[in-house]
Amino acid sequence: MTEESPIIELKNLTKTYKNGMEFHALDNANLKIKKGEFVAIVGPSGSGKSTLMHLIGLLDTPSSGTLLIDRNDVTNMSDKERSEIRNRMLGFVFQYHHLLPDFTALENVMMPLLIAGKKRKEAKVIAEKLLKEVGLEDRMDHKPGELSGGQNQRVAIARALSCSPAIVLGDEPTGNLDTKTGDMIYELLRQLNKEYNQTFIVVTHNDDMALKADRIIRLVDGKITVQ
Amino acid sequence: MRYELFIALRQIRARKFQTILSVGAIALAVMVLTVSQALMVGFTGELYNTTVNKFPHVSVSPQEGEDYIYLYRTLVDETSKVEGVSAVSPFLTGKASFRFKTNSLNAELKGVLPLQENNISNIETDMVEGDLRELEYSRNTIVIGSKLADKLEVNLGDSVDVSFPNSNPLSLRVVGIFHTGSPLDESLTYTSLDTAQEFYNVQDVINGVSVKLEDFNRDREVAAKIEKTGYKARGWTETNPEILRTIAIETTSNNVVLGLIVVIASFGVVSALNLSVIGAISQIGMLRAMGATISSIKTIFVLQSGILGLLGALVGTLTGVAISLGIGQYEMPAASSKLYGGMTTIPIIVRIGDILVIILAVFLLNLIAGIYPAQQAAKLDPVKAISSK
Repeated sequence: MTEESPIIELKNLTKTYKNGMEFHALDNANLKIKKGEFVAIVGPSGSGKSTLMHLIGLLDTPSSGTLLIDRNDVTNMSDKERSEIRNRMLGFVFQYHHLLPDFTALENVMMPLLIAGKKRKEAKVIAEKLLKEVGLEDRMDHKPGELSGGQNQRVAIARALSCSPAIVLGDEPTGNLDTKTGDMIYELLRQLNKEYNQTFIVVTHNDDMALKADRIIRLVDGKITVQ
Repeated sequence: MRYELFIALRQIRARKFQTILSVGAIALAVMVLTVSQALMVGFTGELYNTTVNKFPHVSVSPQEGEDYIYLYRTLVDETSKVEGVSAVSPFLTGKASFRFKTNSLNAELKGVLPLQENNISNIETDMVEGDLRELEYSRNTIVIGSKLADKLEVNLGDSVDVSFPNSNPLSLRVVGIFHTGSPLDESLTYTSLDTAQEFYNVQDVINGVSVKLEDFNRDREVAAKIEKTGYKARGWTETNPEILRTIAIETTSNNVVLGLIVVIASFGVVSALNLSVIGAISQIGMLRAMGATISSIKTIFVLQSGILGLLGALVGTLTGVAISLGIGQYEMPAASSKLYGGMTTIPIIVRIGDILVIILAVFLLNLIAGIYPAQQAAKLDPVKAISSK
């Protein structure tokens, strides 16, 4: 461990579902992730990978324990504060791209910037630059329905990066793609990680991909077994 | 532009078919409302014109226990000086029997100063034969209603015998026939004040004063002022309350029905919007992940409902006004015109104020209606929403 304070810190983080019987989706997780790290989260399905992801992404609230992002305790924040952190500090890439179908690729990438209150012109400049970076400069005015799966996933990555978030979360970002496209997307993420020193946390089933990460976190039955 | 509005507008545009249906439903309801309102205002105005403006707005009668007003010239003078009064007409009226050949009928014989009486009742515009002014020029003349003339079988120029217990029987020459389309055509006759005084065998007295106001809504207020002269004064809302009641009941029931139509149309928008919430679950989840707050998600859907309502209201009022003006142009066939008391066109009044109120009300109603689907959208758990695809 370096002296630098971690960008994400989990202290005894627990998520329990009460559904007739108690079920610990995440059980007393303790974890520190440094700025600029590329972390892979692996484990069998149902092991709590997605739960961990959603908790770090502030999409879900823990049952107990503490979550620190950039040294701020975010566990008991209001919806407005959590939304603002999601907007400014977190970028999401899900298995499915979840692009807004009625908006062009460019507008989709602009959206987080507009939510942040940026002017349209400003947002457009940033979004164009990002779409160029993911190799879609000639597809900017196409809607998701007119793009391939790989292209849409690249748009989703550009969108995740648009507000220059400190942390990018990927929930099986290549899970819906063929191996070749998947590898390409993964390489893109790795490259962006090196370029901007953003922290990447990626849930994956793919061992090859996990091996390329800086660190592998393995989850079994809601417990972190290997760090 | 705020991004909530950006998203709301884009989604409305993207769901063309649903948008057309929603806007169409509201527009249809608003159109019916607009046309009906224009008709209602038109008919109410017509009703006031044919009734309230035909009879005195305030009637002055003798003091308690008296049959006549003696010093009526002073009273007429003072009354015409009261603020808000536009015309004053003294009269002496009573019952009389009319006989022509073998026909005999009872009716009211009202002695008036023709010019002043006309300012109250506009009877000159209702004259179908002869002239009201004739009463001034020659003694022992009479103007009668069309129905009474038919029943007595008298024509212009004929003389009818008028009599009544305790009165001086007279033979009066018919110098005019009026047609108002109301029961007055059978029950009212006019003669000069002098002739009436002679017939009823009294001196220079009257038994009432008719007063017309600049604004007929102020009848009670002006009546109270006139009462300071010591005579009894009653406003038309007191003497003819049934007219007000009729108008009030019709307007209220009409408005309730129309209000319900608009509410139903808004419910259509709510259910359409509810469906679109279900269709947009994963989008809502992603918007939340991107940092949209719960209240922003609500705003997006309330805005959609409000915009659909506003579009519907605008389209509806525009077509409604166009249809109303079209109806106003329509000329009634002569045959049915008689049935409706001489109206030649359908009375239509489009008031800008009404249109603005309708647009505003429909817009607000739809904003409120949008709250339910908006809450459904905002309630979604972003984790579930994102995993839903």
